Amino acid sequence: MDITCTNPLRIGLRQERVIPPQCLVIFGASGDLTQRKLIPALFELFKQRRLPSEFAVVGCARRSWSNEEFRRRMSTALTEQIKQNKTEWEIFSSYLFYEPVDLQKSQDVFKLGKRLEAIDQLKATHGNRTFYLSVAPKFYASGCKALSEAGLLNDPKRNRIVIEKPFGRDYSSAQQLNKVVQSCAIESQIFRIDHYLGKETVQNILVLRFANSIFEPIWNRNYISNVQITSAETVGVEDRAGYYEGSGALRDMVQNHLTQMLAITAMEPPGHFDPESIRNEKAKVLQAAHLANELEPWECCVRGQYKEGGNQANPLLSYREEPGVNPNSTTETFVAMKLFVNNWRWQGVPFYVRTGKRLAKRVSEVVLNFREAPVHLFDAAGGSPTSNQLVLRIQPNEGAEFRFDVKSPGSGMRSRPVEMEFSYDESFGEPFDDGYVRLLADAMLGDPTLFTRSDEVEAAWRLYTPLLELIEDSPWQLPIYPYESRTWGPAEADSLLAKDNLLWRRP
Amino acid sequence: MSPQLTLQTPLQLPATEIPSYLKQLWNNEESDNKGANTFCLLVWQPAWIEQQLISVGKITGPIIGNQREEVIEAAREIVLEKELPHCTAPLDQKVSASLENKKITTKHEDLRGQHIDSSISQLQPRRLITLAPTIEKKNQLETLVAAYCPLPEDGGNSACGDVIVLRGGIDSIKSNLKMVEELIPEDLPSWLWWNGSIDENPEIFEMVALPIRRLIIDTALGEPSKCLSLLQKSIENEQTVNDLNWLRLRTWRETLAMVFDPPHRRTILNDLINVDIDIEGDNPVQGLLLVAWLADRLNWKMTNTLKQDSGGVKTEFIRSDNKKVTFRLMPLPVGKPSIHPGQIIGLRLISKTGTSPKNDVCVILASESGECMRLEAGGMASKELIEEVVPIQNNSSEMDVARLLSTSRGSTSPLLANASPLASKLLNMITASKEVKN
Repeated sequence: MDITCTNPLRIGLRQERVIPPQCLVIFGASGDLTQRKLIPALFELFKQRRLPSEFAVVGCARRSWSNEEFRRRMSTALTEQIKQNKTEWEIFSSYLFYEPVDLQKSQDVFKLGKRLEAIDQLKATHGNRTFYLSVAPKFYASGCKALSEAGLLNDPKRNRIVIEKPFGRDYSSAQQLNKVVQSCAIESQIFRIDHYLGKETVQNILVLRFANSIFEPIWNRNYISNVQITSAETVGVEDRAGYYEGSGALRDMVQNHLTQMLAITAMEPPGHFDPESIRNEKAKVLQAAHLANELEPWECCVRGQYKEGGNQANPLLSYREEPGVNPNSTTETFVAMKLFVNNWRWQGVPFYVRTGKRLAKRVSEVVLNFREAPVHLFDAAGGSPTSNQLVLRIQPNEGAEFRFDVKSPGSGMRSRPVEMEFSYDESFGEPFDDGYVRLLADAMLGDPTLFTRSDEVEAAWRLYTPLLELIEDSPWQLPIYPYESRTWGPAEADSLLAKDNLLWRRP
Repeated sequence: MSPQLTLQTPLQLPATEIPSYLKQLWNNEESDNKGANTFCLLVWQPAWIEQQLISVGKITGPIIGNQREEVIEAAREIVLEKELPHCTAPLDQKVSASLENKKITTKHEDLRGQHIDSSISQLQPRRLITLAPTIEKKNQLETLVAAYCPLPEDGGNSACGDVIVLRGGIDSIKSNLKMVEELIPEDLPSWLWWNGSIDENPEIFEMVALPIRRLIIDTALGEPSKCLSLLQKSIENEQTVNDLNWLRLRTWRETLAMVFDPPHRRTILNDLINVDIDIEGDNPVQGLLLVAWLADRLNWKMTNTLKQDSGGVKTEFIRSDNKKVTFRLMPLPVGKPSIHPGQIIGLRLISKTGTSPKNDVCVILASESGECMRLEAGGMASKELIEEVVPIQNNSSEMDVARLLSTSRGSTSPLLANASPLASKLLNMITASKEVKN
């Protein structure tokens, strides 16, 4: 045993909650998400001995595959993971089944019901079923209806439904979708997934804030001058042009992932760590949040689109040259904006949010910039005094760092900033998953803590309604600024902060 | 968490009528209320010390059976009054043995089985069957039954279950055990929580601890060799077994694992040369389970050398690189021991990587600062010192059982299964060495 690779004393110590006998039904099983995320996450749960022996995965899609074909395809998709775990895969793959289903055809869904009954008998899954809608968003409503009409959501204790993002395209469509879904199942059966909430580092924001007594007293407008939330990608649109052209950065990233990070960063402490207490607090923050200038949204929001970049050896295409993208596309691949949260804790503290593709670095982080010391007694080595800064690194290099001033060595009394750092890697040395492992387990356990509730989703859409309306009605008022690939977005994004005498943190 | 009473006053029925009453109870309900589809928990609940303390007038009734502060404090007083060693834990059999089994003269309510700890009721057991033997051996059997619906703390859904109590003298309970089997739903997992000393009433234990039952025992309660032997026998027979004494070790194992979570510290584990464990009193089981877990995790082999003197028990392991690791188990006469016998209060690991003591590392985990200082003695301060405080677990047994029920996969923990045989062998060596000495 190479004890430097893994901590031998850690093995088997975690007391995870036990997933009850379960049948997970994945709609869209022939799709990318199933093979890239869902099946690998389930296999990981299996390796961690977290799946019950009474377990089954039923893949559903329109293609007429057999069980064997489905298993073979999943095995091909997971080649790397299986290499080291052949025996485990052999057992795990025996849990995989396939049923051809077109969610638009009621007879298919009824047939699926019969198949699930047979699998219940075969695998003793006790009628506990989690339905995962990994299908195109336009099928969410009809998918739920079909399941409901087939009686597959009848038992609120045993049947659940997981819905991928995006949940709606705007406030009214989200309301409409909620209405339909809630007519098919009660809220406790509905799990709206946002995989960012499954990330250790996002959950760590809650622990950092509410398990330590030193942060919460200063986590407010008296001590914090501004908050910056960044989620930057280096990749372009890749093969998602079909989807991305219709959504853009605002719908793809800001309304869900970044808004959830904002909610967790800004929420009040819940009375208990239970799903409703946490979701109540998140919903309250989102209801209190608004764009810095709702009447003139162009004053607080910048949109951008990446141009070509790279170098001669490795040239990068502009967004409009990407396969599947309209050459005159006005879809934003970058967005930066300024928000406020109107409550006692955050009144007057700007929250700056930015996300984009083809930026300089892949990084997601929440940065809390503290107010400067009221009196500067010392000369700053860097020319001007620095304020304290707490950086919560979501990915990569997961961890946190705190910047504060110390005395610069030598004669005199000059101050300079240093960093105190916590790194998950150095402290725990364990690999991270992308959130699906945790969220799939939670959904099967019926724990909705890390899933978004209907009012949260609606509040998040409502928050961006002035922008969405502006883009829809008079897009020229919110122009698309081009930016060179692998830079930090258009210069106008910097101007957004410069107006407040601030700078984006360069991660 | 406060205990919950059954919502319905338990009905006293003749034993033979209980199955039909329960059938009627659930069948009469609306079709969608068939009771919780969870598990059945059978509890051996003698509560001898509580009954004895009431009989000698140390505490007043009712008899509840759940671990409560009043009983623990009164038991501590008995330790002093009966001049037992000060390190005797209040739940030690010696306390019970020192009390006479007086007949309870005044009438006290006996609520055993009806006072469900909320940590357990939140798990919504389908059926709780309590075997409640009385001090009075000749008491006739009384059987009580009640339906109950736990009130969920989080406001979520609740599923109902029922409680059954069989109360009476040992003989009357023994002669009705067949009926108990009939009351256990076949289609649900069934657990037996032996909430008493492992070596008491072996006949009843044999009758209720059927192979299909998942056992919950406490190896801190009972004669150590019998406790470890039962543990090992169950593992060998592939019967699911859970040990509360092992569960109480989790903070030690967790804290020790935390010390070695940073990758740069993991190499220290390759070079360990000493393991010292201090325990309260003289029950060695928990200490042996901890070192057995460590040895198993680090691939150490046992040797046959063992020394016993005033410095405790000393033995050696061989590391995978054939170097020796010395292990010492030291019983300490503490003034106010924790509730359970033989709890660990200190652990020290010493690692030697070169000739200079500066390169050596000493890891000390202790339950209090005095113990930290004790383990620091002998030049430990000259080494790189890693110290952590591990508070002793004083959770009630009910909370520990609830934790087990909610996290168990229905099989024996592989870590316990691996550690238990090694702990047994170590104990056998200690016992043999004592016999030679005598």
